[in-house]
Amino acid sequence: MILTPEVLAILILNAIFALFGMVAFVLSVKIYLNWDINSTSTAQYRLEKQSSLAATIIKYIFSIKVPLFIFFIFTLDKISNVLTGAMCAAGVVDATEQGTYLIVLKIINLYLFALWLKLNAEDVKDRNQPHTKLKFGFFALIFFLFIVEVILEWVMFSAIEIDKMVSCCGSIYSSSANSGISSIFSLGTAALLALFYGNYLLIVLFYFLKKRYLFAVTNMLFVVIAIIALILFFGTYIYELPSHHCPFCFLQRDYYYIGYLIYGMLFVGTFYGLVVGFFKESILSYKISLLFNSLYVILLSLYVVVYYLKNGVLL
Amino acid sequence: MMIELKNITKIYEVNKNNIVTALDNINLEIREGELVVLKGASGSGKSTILSLIAALSKPTSGEIVVETSRVSKLSDNFASDFRRDNIGFVFQKYNLIPALSVKENIILPLVPLNLHVKEIEEKLIRVLKMFHIEHKENQLVKNLSGGEQQRVAIARANVNNPKIILADEPTANLDEKLSLSFIEILKELKAEGKTIVVATHDPLFFNLEIVDRVVEIHQGVLL
Repeated sequence: MILTPEVLAILILNAIFALFGMVAFVLSVKIYLNWDINSTSTAQYRLEKQSSLAATIIKYIFSIKVPLFIFFIFTLDKISNVLTGAMCAAGVVDATEQGTYLIVLKIINLYLFALWLKLNAEDVKDRNQPHTKLKFGFFALIFFLFIVEVILEWVMFSAIEIDKMVSCCGSIYSSSANSGISSIFSLGTAALLALFYGNYLLIVLFYFLKKRYLFAVTNMLFVVIAIIALILFFGTYIYELPSHHCPFCFLQRDYYYIGYLIYGMLFVGTFYGLVVGFFKESILSYKISLLFNSLYVILLSLYVVVYYLKNGVLL
Repeated sequence: MMIELKNITKIYEVNKNNIVTALDNINLEIREGELVVLKGASGSGKSTILSLIAALSKPTSGEIVVETSRVSKLSDNFASDFRRDNIGFVFQKYNLIPALSVKENIILPLVPLNLHVKEIEEKLIRVLKMFHIEHKENQLVKNLSGGEQQRVAIARANVNNPKIILADEPTANLDEKLSLSFIEILKELKAEGKTIVVATHDPLFFNLEIVDRVVEIHQGVLL
């Protein structure tokens, strides 16, 4: 097991979150099953007090968990310095069987946790608390994913062996890799770019047509397509290397930590895109989503344009 | 503003062996513009009724409706908004901040409203004149007499021009002369159409002309 100060911080926080999350989970189930805002019974007043407590606990856990994702990635990147063969977080993720599953689960949870925070914010904005039952039911479901994440994190850090050689990102993110990742390399560049820009144009179209469900669905698709496009195509222009496809290296200092900005924009843009699908009156969410998705597309496209202007060729 | 208390029970659970039933299934209706006196001994539940109307606490069961608002169902944030917009509370011990001046104490409830300075000034002058404390504006409240402090407390309760005034034992710390002066203030407030609820065991209030109703409460039950 690897126990750097960063890993210890993550594990301790996870233990605290799991403990308080358990309390919130028990209360959430009770509230979900018995909530009746119109009732003036003793039981309902008790539930109202408990809902306030549970919502506060969950809010604090998720408000920390969301930015903690950045710290988790930073930690993986830092650990890569002590693992033989690892050049960045990719090597650490690939060092254990659980790594890839954990990253995927963490990304899914990131959206779910942020969605819960948004749901809670909408609920407390209205004096009739219209989403209370839904938000606690939703928490009761995502609590299991949260616990799986905590367990996987523990297992992953436990399974890392410092004296074991791991792969570097160059071999993990290549068409010859022996993992599921290699399958995405079969996509042609033209098709990939058509998908990427086509998806973005659909987002723009549904923004102007104000088709909220289609806007949300295209945003959901954009998460996947944008990450694949980043790995297969745009990443090579960030590194200015045709064979380097790592989605982690540009999180490092050598690349001015630009990866945090890129992923941050993608997350904010697509998250608010999903929010549009869930909440009716969300003109601001529409705008935030379009703004950040556009910034993402512009920034990545600029890397290609600047490279072409500097070198006169494409990679 | 009409106030309705429907089947209100309030139980304070200090610990498992110490459970106090402050109010036991009470029903009370207070009409708009009415001045109601809640009469009862210490511990009878008068203050609990006031704190429930002001949404300072929630009942154990039952419901409080003010106009159309179900105040007992409001979350803390909305309860604060409700109090700020509708309730002026005069406490037995005034609850003024001694280190602040009369003016600062009075305008305190206006701070969260982000009003323009001119508007704050207008509201301040209105209550200073109404309660005859213009000349004390810049004095620290700790240097005022009991009667003057109470006027400041009433001015503060009125600065936002609330429709409901709740007073908890307002004359408990006053001599008879000052108590009569407070009653004059109540007359003015009633003339303005405010709904007033006074919780007291001071006999001075029970036969007043301005009092519409005296409601007696004993061990959490209305008589």
